[in-house]
Amino acid sequence: MNPTTKDMQLSTPTDTTIVITREFDAPRRLVWQAMFTPDKMRRWMLPPPGWTISTCECDTRVGGALELAWKSDEADPAMTLRGVFTEVVLHERIVHTETMALGSGQVVGSLVEQHEFSEQGGVTSMRITQTYASKEARDGAIASGMDQGMEGCYRQLDAVLVS
Amino acid sequence: MVLDASPRLDLVFHALAHPARRAIIRQLSGGERNLSELAAPLSMTFPAATKHVRVLEEARLVRRRVAGREHLCRLHAAPLKDAMQWTEQFRRNWEVRFEALDSLLDEMKAEEQSRSRRR
Repeated sequence: MNPTTKDMQLSTPTDTTIVITREFDAPRRLVWQAMFTPDKMRRWMLPPPGWTISTCECDTRVGGALELAWKSDEADPAMTLRGVFTEVVLHERIVHTETMALGSGQVVGSLVEQHEFSEQGGVTSMRITQTYASKEARDGAIASGMDQGMEGCYRQLDAVLVS
Repeated sequence: MVLDASPRLDLVFHALAHPARRAIIRQLSGGERNLSELAAPLSMTFPAATKHVRVLEEARLVRRRVAGREHLCRLHAAPLKDAMQWTEQFRRNWEVRFEALDSLLDEMKAEEQSRSRRR
């Protein structure tokens, strides 16, 4: 397996979108199953340090719900993600809405996420398109990813300083 | 990393080095907010919130406009983008998940193969 072919590509083709592409060395039927079955989702949707997934529900039918919650030492829930599936073509294309909120209920942001899968020779190409309501919301989502990363760095630093 | 942007980068890192200011950035990613909206969920006094917003303004991460008696704040994420490869952590968060997904898929393929062999 050539690792370069699997490399993730991240792009921002318009002011309100983020596109992520990645290849997986598995048929798309399995990729789909891994990405949208709750007990499988818990295995790869790794939470930030100190957080755990407390709720994970995913009903991949049009009108079906996507519901995730995370808890931390300080808050339960610390963050929630709720959405509804709006388009489903089995193993090919799936679209859902998504609203992230803090434990207090305050909404952090909303987006529409589309996943597209194509398969060739047992390798699946996945393309995720996230569409945000505005450029600020898109930029904020990227910035909060950075925030999460820094939080992790600070925690590691704390651990080093304590030891 | 743009090295000659380092004085600006210092301001950005300083601004991000406080959890309350990171919480403000997170709130502003949901849209424009006034100062009391920013202060409330942080259980912070109005002057304390104003102080944090000023630090974010100095780093040019937040822009403030006055509308009547309200001070409205907006996120301005460009300094992050200009000063460093700001998408890097976002990318890494996903990459870490995709690597976990790779191992899960290997397991699922192995399970399927052993199941079809047993049949």
